[in-house]
Amino acid sequence: MTRSLAIALLLLLPALAFAQTPAQPAASAGDPVKGREKTRMCEGCHGIEGWRTAFPEVYRVPKLGGQHEAYIAAALKEYKSGARSHPSMRAIAGGLTDDDIANLAAYYAQGGVKTASQ
Amino acid sequence: MMTGIRVSLLVASFALAAAAHGADLAAGQAKAKEICQACHGLDGNSTVADYPKLGGQYPDYLSKALRDYKSGARKNPIMAGFAGALTAQDIDNLAAYYASQPPVLARKY
Repeated sequence: MTRSLAIALLLLLPALAFAQTPAQPAASAGDPVKGREKTRMCEGCHGIEGWRTAFPEVYRVPKLGGQHEAYIAAALKEYKSGARSHPSMRAIAGGLTDDDIANLAAYYAQGGVKTASQ
Repeated sequence: MMTGIRVSLLVASFALAAAAHGADLAAGQAKAKEICQACHGLDGNSTVADYPKLGGQYPDYLSKALRDYKSGARKNPIMAGFAGALTAQDIDNLAAYYASQPPVLARKY
C-alpha cells in the first residue's frame, strides 16, 4: 500500500513540476527605468515603424514591445557572444553589460498590446 | 527595345504579385496547429517566457528567422528540428499566418 502510494507520488512528481513552471511569472530581474536610458542605440531601428535592415538581408526589424523579457535577454546574450549573427546587433550587444541586457529586456517587455487571453 | 522593357515590366509585376499573394493563410494555420502551437500558441501569444511571442510580428522577420533556423545560421536545437522540415512555401505560409494574428507585440521606442 505504502509502496504503491510512493510509486504514484513518484510518477506524479514530474507532472507537478511541469505544471508549476508556466504558473510562475518570470521574475523581473531588470530595471525598466534604467533600461529606458539605454535605448538610444535601439530606437534608431526598432523605434521606427516598418524599418528595414539592409544588410545582409532586407527585412523589417522585429517589434519588441511586449515580447517576453527572458527571450529578449537571451537574444541579446546570443548576439553578444556571437552565437546569433547580425553585424549591427553584434556590435551593439557587444557593448552591453549583463545588467544593461536585463534592464533593456525589462523595458521592452513592457508596453505590449493587451489581448483578451492575457 | 520597347518589347524588352514591356517583357521586363511584365516579369517584374508577376514577381511582385507572387511575393504579395504567395502565402496561404489557411495552410499556414494548419501547419501552425501541427508544429508551432504547443510552444508559441495558435495565435502566437506564447505564455512561456523562453518562447517568443509571434502574433503581429512582421512576416519578413518571421520568415527570415525560420530560414536561418533551417539553414543553421541561427542555432537552436528545438527550432532546427522544426524549421528543418519546412519547405520554403511552408515558411511563407507560417510567417503570413502569425503576422496576421491579433498583434500582441508593438513597436516601442
